[in-house]
Amino acid sequence: MGIEELDKLVSQGISRVMDKGAGYCDARFYSEDGSETIALIDGNLEENSASFESGLGVRVLHGGSWGFAATSRADDVKETFDRALANAKTASLLVNIPLNMDRMSGIKGQYSSPVEIDPFEVPLKEKLAFLKELDSNLHADFIQRRIAYIYLQRMKNWFWNSEGSFIERNLLNCFAKARIMAQDLDGQMQVRSKALQTPGSGTRGWEMVTNSGLWSARTETIKEELAQLLKAPEIEYGKRSIVLLPGQGFLQVHETIGHPLELDRILGYELSFAGGSFVTLDSIGKLRYGSDKLNANAYGSIENSPGSFGYDDEGTPERDYPLIDKGILVNCLTSRAMISEANQTAGIKVFDQSGGASRSSAFYKAPIDRMTNVNILPGKDGSLMDIIAQTEDGILLDNPRSWSIGSNREHFHFGCEIAWEISSGKLTRVLKNPTYQGHTLDFYANLGAVGDDSTWVVKQVPNCGKGEPNQIMEIGHGIPVMRFDDVITGERR
Amino acid sequence: MIDEKTCDAILQVRDSARNKKINAFFTMHQEKSHLLRIGNNSVSLNTSTDLTRLNVEVIDGHRKGSYSVMTDISTPAVVENALQAAVEKASVATPREYKPLEPIVEKNIKQMDQYDPSLEEIDPVTKVETYREIIDENGENYNYSGSWSSGSTEIFLACTANKNIAWRKGTDQQFSCVLKDPGHKWELANFQTGWQSGEVTANNATGDFKYILPVFREPGIKVEPGEYTVVFGSQALADILGLLMWTGLNGKSYEEKMGWTTGKLIGDQILSEKVTIVDDPSNMDTFGFSFDMKGLTRGFFPFVEEGRMVSLFYDIDTAGKYKRKPTPHNDSASLVMNPGDGPENPLEAVRNMGRVLFIPALHYVHIPNPSKGLFTGSSRFSALLLENGEMKAPIFSSRITDTFQNVFGKVELISSVGASVNSSSTYDRRMPQATSVPSYMISSEVRVTDSADSF
Repeated sequence: MGIEELDKLVSQGISRVMDKGAGYCDARFYSEDGSETIALIDGNLEENSASFESGLGVRVLHGGSWGFAATSRADDVKETFDRALANAKTASLLVNIPLNMDRMSGIKGQYSSPVEIDPFEVPLKEKLAFLKELDSNLHADFIQRRIAYIYLQRMKNWFWNSEGSFIERNLLNCFAKARIMAQDLDGQMQVRSKALQTPGSGTRGWEMVTNSGLWSARTETIKEELAQLLKAPEIEYGKRSIVLLPGQGFLQVHETIGHPLELDRILGYELSFAGGSFVTLDSIGKLRYGSDKLNANAYGSIENSPGSFGYDDEGTPERDYPLIDKGILVNCLTSRAMISEANQTAGIKVFDQSGGASRSSAFYKAPIDRMTNVNILPGKDGSLMDIIAQTEDGILLDNPRSWSIGSNREHFHFGCEIAWEISSGKLTRVLKNPTYQGHTLDFYANLGAVGDDSTWVVKQVPNCGKGEPNQIMEIGHGIPVMRFDDVITGERR
Repeated sequence: MIDEKTCDAILQVRDSARNKKINAFFTMHQEKSHLLRIGNNSVSLNTSTDLTRLNVEVIDGHRKGSYSVMTDISTPAVVENALQAAVEKASVATPREYKPLEPIVEKNIKQMDQYDPSLEEIDPVTKVETYREIIDENGENYNYSGSWSSGSTEIFLACTANKNIAWRKGTDQQFSCVLKDPGHKWELANFQTGWQSGEVTANNATGDFKYILPVFREPGIKVEPGEYTVVFGSQALADILGLLMWTGLNGKSYEEKMGWTTGKLIGDQILSEKVTIVDDPSNMDTFGFSFDMKGLTRGFFPFVEEGRMVSLFYDIDTAGKYKRKPTPHNDSASLVMNPGDGPENPLEAVRNMGRVLFIPALHYVHIPNPSKGLFTGSSRFSALLLENGEMKAPIFSSRITDTFQNVFGKVELISSVGASVNSSSTYDRRMPQATSVPSYMISSEVRVTDSADSF
């Protein structure tokens, strides 16, 4: 079905449900939601798959409740609108605070991820040759397991809503990772890995994956570090400073700033699954989240990041705005219906406009509040080496190995791939099995140093999970090196 | 039975591929899903989806490729296109050092023993009324949230190696309701599961809430780090058990020396002699599949007998790589931990145990060190301090960081009553899965490593 015919059918569908009393309606049609996964494991092509999805998702707000329906059948457009409306009507039988969408003007827009070479147009042979080369760089006698992995996504979709919006988006993501493992002297498997990060600017097609020189330096680094891990002593339990490289810092921020600031979690919509948040509506503008050095923002317009998508899934253009200003919480990750409910619940206008964070992972899933690019702004504490030099007793940490967070994000436990001991301002030795734990607000209150621009890196997250039914979302985090003081590290014996 | 046109389309392409000596395996997955979601005492979302997916896997000697598509697959042309995409991927693939095992539909199977058309077509109003009844019964001073997912899943497998087909249509549902006190912030939860309409009731949730609510009038207690005797409820137990299996009894993890059973041999004592773990598709507390997603016929399969490791499970790729026999557990296991001889009521079980912690559920369990079997997760939903068989007070969110070997090694008592815990993954396609576990397990010297100042 061509776009013109579809446009006509969808427009008719929207008009029909609005005529029947709906307060709002939107529709998303994905002409293509494609992916390709290629993984070499120990040199064997263990994953060589591709997928293609196409279909329509319709969301109707009626009587203060959402109804949603989706179909992958081209002949089912009219019925899908009817089902979504019927679902909304049923939902409206039980309403406490009626949801509504504050009226917005319709938007006509188009967004495409900046791409030079579309990886889906690159012959499979060429992609395999690249992976083969990456894998050959991972070889060493002591390495027991090598993984070289690429995951590609391409989405082409159109969005319509009852306010007259029509938005076309072409999104593309490239993720890649190299991972090696070997058993240490105690027989425990140790891991080192490096993921593809973005430069934040420029393009994000196949040219980003194959960026010359990028992988060869990284593979050499992780091989050297894994070799050191195999002979390294285990980290001891105790309180010390931790310096997080962006490879670990992004997940710390993701789990303990990003998720707790999702407004639907704050309002209690995720309680039975992903959990709630220690943040309340009263917190906005008042809560001291961290030290003065903590500045975070939601920055939708990083040129090159999976968290940049032009418009969210209810037609709000991407926005750049502060979340935490000099340690004080000032805003959250929001969507239109959630800010309307929050303002009703609070009895005051806590939020004045949507943060453009309403996102859906597929045509058959209803949008929910997600992260865009949740970043920590660079600080004034110099380079990584400057921060290490300022640290008396600590460890430098890279890359997550495990993450477990309290249901309201009030406390956490992380395991990392590698630690370097810092003693009197110098890196001394590698430590294995590093873990640390803390309580979110205490932890950020002890943010003692934030690296400058030279330490700031945009990390890609291909697999943020949330919602029922669960939705896997792609986002980004711009993160500098950060030092936190008085943190419990290691495990009590 | 599967829509005739779709079935014919797949089989026509299958036969054509057979004639061309293409080695292909077809998986059709059809779901009819309905989900009602509650937030802040309102229905926040009411969704229905009707989706069909086809996956085609092609093996060409040492090469393999696969392609999946979600669209209308009722015409041979669409199925043929998917086949050709997989053929193309396999033909370009670099050959593996080993020959991948070919999935084969072992037997002609048609299964519909857990299918209830009235659940498949359940009126969403029934769900609304159930939540309304829970809210009315327990009062609107609390904040209610949750979801109720129900639907049918139809799986159809065919391959070019023979003319067998394996087909299963079943229904399933997963219900949750969280009751939160907006002032004190504690949360109680009720979970229900099953495959028939009528199995989820408001009474079940209300009964649970009313039983436990009085103790939540007591102020919360902060648990200091240390070693405790812990009563793990069924949700927590199923969560830990799943990870224990994945890191310890998984052939891939074992062969690659990744997990906590590395160095152990079949027959070795790895857990308490009170612990027996099997895969049993005939257990009606689980969603029983007569075949796995690679066409292997399923039956009773033991993993751990009285604490001894008796077998591992191997997916088809790992089996091919390490020259083992694949076991039929792909995406369809009916994991069962056998009940013990403890009384039905956990309070009675701990009457002479002094102060113990009751952890009904764990949130975000992860594995900092698979080689050591170290896991960590924090308590959630009505965690309590018990004293000599009485509920004393709710406890604040507390973190347990311990090993599988310790928690399933120092077992004091296991409930004689089984519980079904719905463990379906909702990450991708609807795929019903439930674990049958004892309603509680009591372990001693469990390490609590941190606790919050709030629930």
